[in-house]
Amino acid sequence: MSSPAAPTDAPVLTAERLSVRFGRRVALRDISLAIPRGRIVSIIGPSGCGKTTLLRCFNRMNELASGARTSGTVHFAGMDLYGPDIDPVEVRRRIGMVFQQTTPFPKSVFDNIAFGPRASGFTGDLQGLVEEVLTSVGLWSEVADDLDTPALELSAGQKQRLCIARTLALKPDVLLLDEPTSALDPEATARIESIIRALSPRYTIVIATYNRWQAARLSDLTAFLDRGELLEYGLTETLFTNPREARTESYLTGRTQ
Amino acid sequence: MMARRVSGAGTASRAAGERLVAHVLLACTVVAVVTLAAVLAVLVREAGMFFADVSPWRFLTEITWAPAAAEPRFGVLPLLVGTAQIGVGAAVFALPAGLMTAVYLHQYAGSRTARLLSGVTALMAGVPTVVYGLFALHFVTPALRVLWPGVEAFNALSACLVVGLMILPTVTVLSREALDSVPPPLLDAGLALGAPKGRVVTRVLLPAASGGILAAVLIAMARAVGETMIVSLAAGNEARLTWSPFEGLQTLSAFLTQLGMGDAATGTREFQAFFAVGAVLFVGTYGIHMAGRMLVSRSVGRAGQ
Ligand SMILES: Nc1ncnc2c1ncn2[C@@H]1O[C@H](COP(=O)(O)OP(=O)(O)OP(=O)(O)O)[C@@H](O)[C@H]1O
Ligand SMILES: [Mg+2]
Repeated sequence: MSSPAAPTDAPVLTAERLSVRFGRRVALRDISLAIPRGRIVSIIGPSGCGKTTLLRCFNRMNELASGARTSGTVHFAGMDLYGPDIDPVEVRRRIGMVFQQTTPFPKSVFDNIAFGPRASGFTGDLQGLVEEVLTSVGLWSEVADDLDTPALELSAGQKQRLCIARTLALKPDVLLLDEPTSALDPEATARIESIIRALSPRYTIVIATYNRWQAARLSDLTAFLDRGELLEYGLTETLFTNPREARTESYLTGRTQ
Repeated sequence: MMARRVSGAGTASRAAGERLVAHVLLACTVVAVVTLAAVLAVLVREAGMFFADVSPWRFLTEITWAPAAAEPRFGVLPLLVGTAQIGVGAAVFALPAGLMTAVYLHQYAGSRTARLLSGVTALMAGVPTVVYGLFALHFVTPALRVLWPGVEAFNALSACLVVGLMILPTVTVLSREALDSVPPPLLDAGLALGAPKGRVVTRVLLPAASGGILAAVLIAMARAVGETMIVSLAAGNEARLTWSPFEGLQTLSAFLTQLGMGDAATGTREFQAFFAVGAVLFVGTYGIHMAGRMLVSRSVGRAGQ
């Protein structure tokens, strides 16, 4: 694991007083946190605490949900993500996202990877790019012979690795991973975790997970969300061994779910 | 797929009640099956007698259909061509309009617009076909004749347009179901890869729903092929072997309506010809239906990862 980082290191993403409500229900309340460049940050917390919503605020996916109202600010590399002249499509190319359910398109492996680059008018060496990103998720050796294989015929773990590779093809700065292993068996999970480790520190990675041990294994920093509030945020080691809040401790020791 | 049976322990009287319900349901099923079997038996018997007289080869290759003529001719080709014209022609008009409406409802319309459009669609589905037929005859055909003076008073184009209108709700509703069955995270994934919405619709949503959309079209075509009132009113009811959209035509099902009006006596070859045509229509419609079903189950199998 990389050397410990204080949350004050040069931040890539900074949320300030970020709140989200769906109709009358508050999903996130006054969240302020900074994601330092090149680190792995975990967002943990019980189901429904707002992990997905927070991730989706970081790449402006949240505004696509009907009835979502966002207030506060998110800065990305110094610019206001929600500023008037920011194109959300451009934001999503620089801040990639992988979802909880595996989401391969009903297309070939090649066309899945090529989807993002083609959409952004990529004119370089597509073949080379596909090989590069498939290699970085360990899928190249498994599918190199037949890139025309329908992606839906891959195994669950392969599908999720394909989804990660597909996002990497956009050369984003940040990777948002929303419970990327919750649908996978332990072996496939271990595989994905080692890929995540290998992708750091080239990418800044934010991973939402219900699995506190995964957070402990992977991340430099951990944020604990509870009922839409950021209860505690700090070095993973500190948070796990010496939590400041009683509620963090009871969550970590499994006394609440 | 196996349906799961609800099982529950109950009192004796409840068990007796449930047995009664089961018997009534069984009786209904038996009535339906027996009726279907009787219909099929009549169809097969009459068509069989017809084909004992007129060889299937002649039936399928001769180019004149004139069962009531002094010297009757039984070439079914004009009816087949007419039927294909109506089925394909109606789908050509209904598919783009229905699919675009479905995409609009699914992706772009606000909830009020969507409700309004769904209401209009339901209303369209409720219009009696004779109304559509009169609309074709008294409005569409005159309009077409202004555009192209060569259009005949009874013509295929008018029939295709209006039958297309009639099957539009079917195409719209079934396509929308196909779109709804695409998992939303798939669309999110497309957007998260920095694709504009239009691109996600054309490159992710439509391909993922393509099986269901094709099934929608096939089911709608089966309805078009079975339509008689609009076709008779707009395209006349005269069997002619032509592909010209400006001329009249007769379809298999439109021909069948003449059995009720005509004076074909039971047991004559002319009478049996109706059953031969009925058999062709049955096989064709069943084929289209099964193709649609197969596509649906295949696309469901592929979407359920
Ligand atoms: N599209 C939506 N419409 C309405 N409410 C929503 C929507 N998305 C999320 N919410 C609500 O916002 C709150 C936070 O949801 P979110 O999905 O962010 O939680 P989560 O921590 O990711 O949960 P899980 O661990 O189950 O994935 C929940 O109360 C949820 O019901
Ligand atoms: Mg979630």
